[in-house]
Amino acid sequence: MNKAEVITSFIHNIIVFNIPLLYGTVGEIMVEKSGSLNLGVEGTMAVGAIFGYIVGCYANSLGVGILTAFLAGALCGLLFALLTVSLQANQNITGLTLTTFGLGVYFFVGNGVKATGWPVMGDYSSIQNGFADIDIPLLSDIPIIGKGLFSHNLLVYLGIIIAIAAWWYLKHTAPGLRLRSIGENPAAADSVGINVKLMKYLHICLGCGIMGIGGYYMSLNMSGSFNSSCWINGYGWIAVALVIFANWNPALAIIGTFVFGFFNTLRVSGGSLAAAFPEVFGWLAHIPTQLYQALPFIITAIVLVVTSIKNKRGSSGLPAALGLNYYREER
Amino acid sequence: MGFHIVKRDICPLWKRCCFYLAAIVAALFIGALVLLAIGVDPLEYYYQMFTMGMVGNRIAYKTVMNYLRDFVPLALTSVALSLAFKMRFWNIGGEGQFIIGSITASAVAFLLGPSLPMWLTVILMCIFAMLAAGLYGLIAGFLKIRFGTNETLMTLMLNYVALYILYFIGETKESWNFFLQEGSLRPVFESFASLGSFPSIPIGDKFQLNICVILTLLIGVGIYVYLKYSKQGYEISVVGDSMGTAHYAGMKVKRIILRTVFLSAALIGLAAAFKVGTVGVLSTSITNDVGWTGIIVAWLAQLSTPMIFVVAALICVLQTGSITAAATFSKVDSSFANMLQGAILFLILAAEFLVRFKIVRVKKGEKTNE
Repeated sequence: MNKAEVITSFIHNIIVFNIPLLYGTVGEIMVEKSGSLNLGVEGTMAVGAIFGYIVGCYANSLGVGILTAFLAGALCGLLFALLTVSLQANQNITGLTLTTFGLGVYFFVGNGVKATGWPVMGDYSSIQNGFADIDIPLLSDIPIIGKGLFSHNLLVYLGIIIAIAAWWYLKHTAPGLRLRSIGENPAAADSVGINVKLMKYLHICLGCGIMGIGGYYMSLNMSGSFNSSCWINGYGWIAVALVIFANWNPALAIIGTFVFGFFNTLRVSGGSLAAAFPEVFGWLAHIPTQLYQALPFIITAIVLVVTSIKNKRGSSGLPAALGLNYYREER
Repeated sequence: MGFHIVKRDICPLWKRCCFYLAAIVAALFIGALVLLAIGVDPLEYYYQMFTMGMVGNRIAYKTVMNYLRDFVPLALTSVALSLAFKMRFWNIGGEGQFIIGSITASAVAFLLGPSLPMWLTVILMCIFAMLAAGLYGLIAGFLKIRFGTNETLMTLMLNYVALYILYFIGETKESWNFFLQEGSLRPVFESFASLGSFPSIPIGDKFQLNICVILTLLIGVGIYVYLKYSKQGYEISVVGDSMGTAHYAGMKVKRIILRTVFLSAALIGLAAAFKVGTVGVLSTSITNDVGWTGIIVAWLAQLSTPMIFVVAALICVLQTGSITAAATFSKVDSSFANMLQGAILFLILAAEFLVRFKIVRVKKGEKTNE
């Protein structure tokens, strides 16, 4: 590889390998803006991944896969909403259980299918083709960065579109405003006639559905090879962290994904950067990879402290009622 | 006619037990349906699982020893977490505190073990693991009282920081890294069983009862008394119920929070010392997820110390049993335990609703007094 190609593939990798984070984050922002802290992102993504991949392959259709993943994720959301919104269960516990349960389902279904014959992604032409890179005309012809930024698979573009749509929805539409008011103060929202329960149900399911698609992306990106470690492999937890980093803003989540993705990619491709530019990036070869893996969490911890200091001045996007259940009679 | 949901004042114990029992039975029933669907006899499977394959097994004593090895850290971690939860401090950081504790305990064994008698090494392992884990937990506690930083998210982040420190130690082959085997080319954790291991008491001719089991039970009794009868225990529950009240009553709320968080994390560190002092070697999966499972156990037991031991014992049966059963039933992956555990908990969370609330019928136009 020459030097330009190294940079191009580095930029390309930042996006390709980290878009699942964007799906997870945008989904979790939807959920958290309704005032619910769902710690089940990891499990939800795993459920979306396994069902999306298997059903998608059997149907030999990327669209069916996306839809299945969305529905599987939304079903997890429904379970979460049923327990926390209607049955007033503790959100932390429910979310953690959802992760345990989701990973259990992932391995149970995955190993079950594997025993009877695992669908290999290469055998399903329309999924293979559907996941191939699509060049954006003109933009992808820009030297060096063109192929890195503007030549990606369909699900990358879909993720960016969902993030921007979510930002617009939350910021500029009436239902978005209502949703945010529920996250801030459900009692006040209830008193002006907003259907708090319905709104919470809808957005928890929608958000979890988006996470499910993120899981499906992950499975395709791994070419559907199923082994002892889960496809999601901690991305769900990084997404929980990214929500804070993005200050509960889906548009900032895009930038956050690339920042976190940058460190993630340094871990994988830092060596090739160091080899291509020994004078400038030679030192990269000496940094332990575990530091890159820990960096998203360290940065988020710092952001969390900074936001909590700033929060006293009221400039944070943290929903005030996050994590608290709303019980009407206690209003 | 309509329905109305009202809070219950108290729910009689027998009723509560019925609800929970019904939840567990329902979860097992759902599990049975799944098993039937893949063509496995659920009764046979459950029999294997709940007996952990011990019936008619000549090395059943080994199963019991392995079982206790898993039970001790889980029970102790759950008890530790319940301290913080009672104060409504959401310590999700059990994993991280456990990891820091186990790294510290191993370091003590490697560095001091060669020059000290075993009993002293083991005691020092416990003390240093408690200190390190306690201080690690204090980070979130301090930030919480100083800046109001959300402790759920903060401890969650610190879990991963600790995890990658452990990976770093486990994957870096350097001359300074005394945690790894010297001879091997690939990074492999070195055993320190000969330097710092907890003693066992032989019972019968084969069974060895590790002293950690007895210590854990004693600590459980101690914490029960501490929470129920000591002034500090009382302060914890007041702070948990209402910080305002605690403040008004003249309690030093910040000090209570810091003290309790430290104690909670330190006990998790002790659980880690017990674990590494029993298995004698560090590993990247040393926690066996007790930090996560412990949260579920503590909650299922409704933070009652005796119940935590019961629930932890049951969860351990599920986990150990499903691995044994997976050996007999090749169709059923051992991840079935996680699914079943999840289903049980979901249904118990639902049952809890019936414990806390009751559904009352109201006629139209009629007012309820509650």
